[in-house]
Amino acid sequence: MKTRSLALAGFVLVVFLAASAQAADTIKVGLVDTYTGPATAFTNDVLDGFKLAVEKINAKGGVLGRKIAYITRDDKFKPDIGLTMAKELILKENVDLLMGTINSATALAVSDLCRKEKVPFLVTFSKSDKITGEKGHRYVFSMNENTEMAGRATARVLAKKPFVKYWIAGDDYEYGHAIANGVFDHLKKLNPKAQLLGQSWWKVGETDFTPYITQILAAKPDFVIVATGGAGMVNFQKAAQSTGFNKRVPFYQHTGIELSTLAPQGQNAPEGVYGTANYLFYYPNTKQNQAFADEFRKAYNRYPKSGALYGYMAAQFIAKSYEKAGKVDKEKFIDALEGMSLDSPVGRMEMRACDHQVALPMFFGVTKKSPKQEFLVASDILSIPGKDYMPTCEEIRKARAK
Amino acid sequence: MASLADLFSSGTLSQFLVGLSRTTILFIVSSGLTLILGVLRIPNLAHGSLYMIGAFLAYSVIHFLGDGTAAFWAALVIAPLVVAALGFLLERGFFSYLYEREHLMLLLLTFSFTLIIGDLVKLVWGAEYRSVTVPRVFQGSAEVFGLPLPYYNLFLLLIGPFIAVFLWLVVNKTKMGKIARAAAVDSEMVSAVGINVGWVFAFTFVLGCFLAGLGGALIAPMVNITLGMDHSLIMEAFLIVIMGGLGNIWGALLGSLIFGLTQSLGILVWPQFGIVFPYLAVVAVLVVRPKGLLRSTW
Repeated sequence: MKTRSLALAGFVLVVFLAASAQAADTIKVGLVDTYTGPATAFTNDVLDGFKLAVEKINAKGGVLGRKIAYITRDDKFKPDIGLTMAKELILKENVDLLMGTINSATALAVSDLCRKEKVPFLVTFSKSDKITGEKGHRYVFSMNENTEMAGRATARVLAKKPFVKYWIAGDDYEYGHAIANGVFDHLKKLNPKAQLLGQSWWKVGETDFTPYITQILAAKPDFVIVATGGAGMVNFQKAAQSTGFNKRVPFYQHTGIELSTLAPQGQNAPEGVYGTANYLFYYPNTKQNQAFADEFRKAYNRYPKSGALYGYMAAQFIAKSYEKAGKVDKEKFIDALEGMSLDSPVGRMEMRACDHQVALPMFFGVTKKSPKQEFLVASDILSIPGKDYMPTCEEIRKARAK
Repeated sequence: MASLADLFSSGTLSQFLVGLSRTTILFIVSSGLTLILGVLRIPNLAHGSLYMIGAFLAYSVIHFLGDGTAAFWAALVIAPLVVAALGFLLERGFFSYLYEREHLMLLLLTFSFTLIIGDLVKLVWGAEYRSVTVPRVFQGSAEVFGLPLPYYNLFLLLIGPFIAVFLWLVVNKTKMGKIARAAAVDSEMVSAVGINVGWVFAFTFVLGCFLAGLGGALIAPMVNITLGMDHSLIMEAFLIVIMGGLGNIWGALLGSLIFGLTQSLGILVWPQFGIVFPYLAVVAVLVVRPKGLLRSTW
């Protein structure tokens, strides 16, 4: 009995030592994100893009002689679970930094934890402008655009169009309202003639948009800002197609030109929909972008979407920062990451030092059938550089001072 | 807020028709739910999951048969039948052992099925969005007073009465339906006269599941087929069933009409808060008639 428990203790000790030995020669990244349910349509791309880059980095010998290791935790799209998982990763797994998540409420909760624990946190996919805006701090970084940025980018383009009477319609939750306000508030500043005719808000998960569409058509607006997210993107476009809505009144959706929205509909997506996206695998038609799209497609047998770019670039920012820092240290990592700029498939990407918000181009385009693809693509694409649609450092300082 | 004059303008009729077409789907799904609730006394939370499976199956069938109109008709037949078969397995494998248990137990079991089915659907079909195009015959839209009414919505408008008549015939004119109605009131008495209640229950459950699958297959061309489509529907279906009177099929019809029409007409009155109207209607109905509009079998 005694020998057995001794053997057990020995075994535990060996395992423990092995684990800590492994911890010493890897850089540990903890990923808290939603890996079950509908949001996986986006989060799987972040993870796969991240994995793709990490495998390449590790194949070349890693960073500072260490391999990058990662652990994933499923937050089930719930902030409380996400926070628990983040705590566990920091305290038990001793991760060097955290990444995630698609749920803005979770991202803000984890961000707060990371501020207290002094652990760097790279946000991927959460779209709340509070993350790097009023709730921003030294330990949080955003790897993607947010609702405020999408709104500014879109307002810049719409302000030059002749539309006057606008209608707002969208999913009745924070993201929907944030996108709609982001677009319209800035539009109003750039084009004082723009007026809001009315609004329609439906519940998240609404399946039948026909009654809303007929009502909007009866009101006869010049342009409709459609603030849908997730499954609502495709649902609304399908309703637009079957009612001929897009032919009667032009409308805009953030991510409306993205693959995640257009691919499921094949050739039957509505044409002429205005949309913005951070990533299109066919634009810009550069060697870098093509190489990334091919590499991703070879590894996972599908085209990369925005999430893939965020994950892929996050891994590279991480590797380059440790390289620049010269050692695995949380504070030095942050100093190195601030202001860093890297080549990405869509051109130069910069991690702005003042707010830790990545600057990346936004593509504004219109949906159109393509002879080359089995789904609709964006045409007449305008590329808006990151600096043109980000809040200024001054504005960020003001927001944080509040 | 639109003025009263606007309310009765041309928009009203088209909005009314759109609301009716929405009612069809709600009625098909909630009638299945209420049938199972009335006869078997199972508050089947997994009903929405079966509807989701119906939509995914319709996607697979249509995709497999090459996206044509014929493929759509095939999907309308195959998807509900497969869901019905699945319902049969669930009833024989699980529920048939649990009829004596209290409702909370059954509620927990059906809730666990929603989680299990959700993950199974993810395993089989993946997390990506799926979409089915409207069959060619129903593409485009008709003009009703200058506003579009998609042909597919018109098609749904026509389907609704068929399903209602079909259910009326099954429940009132077939022997099985009569036994099921009797079993709903007093299952012990029914078995005492020598009828195998177990099979009556199985039949009712399978019919309910068939309706869930049919609802899923019918909605498939209109929406983004995705995980989570079960949740929003099951909520509405339960509200409709409660509003109409538990277990009463005509209550489900009435509830669906109220739910569908208050929403579409509510949007016309006050688009910004269109979503609250159906729920206000539920509250109003329950305040006036706490047990539902029609007689509950409970």
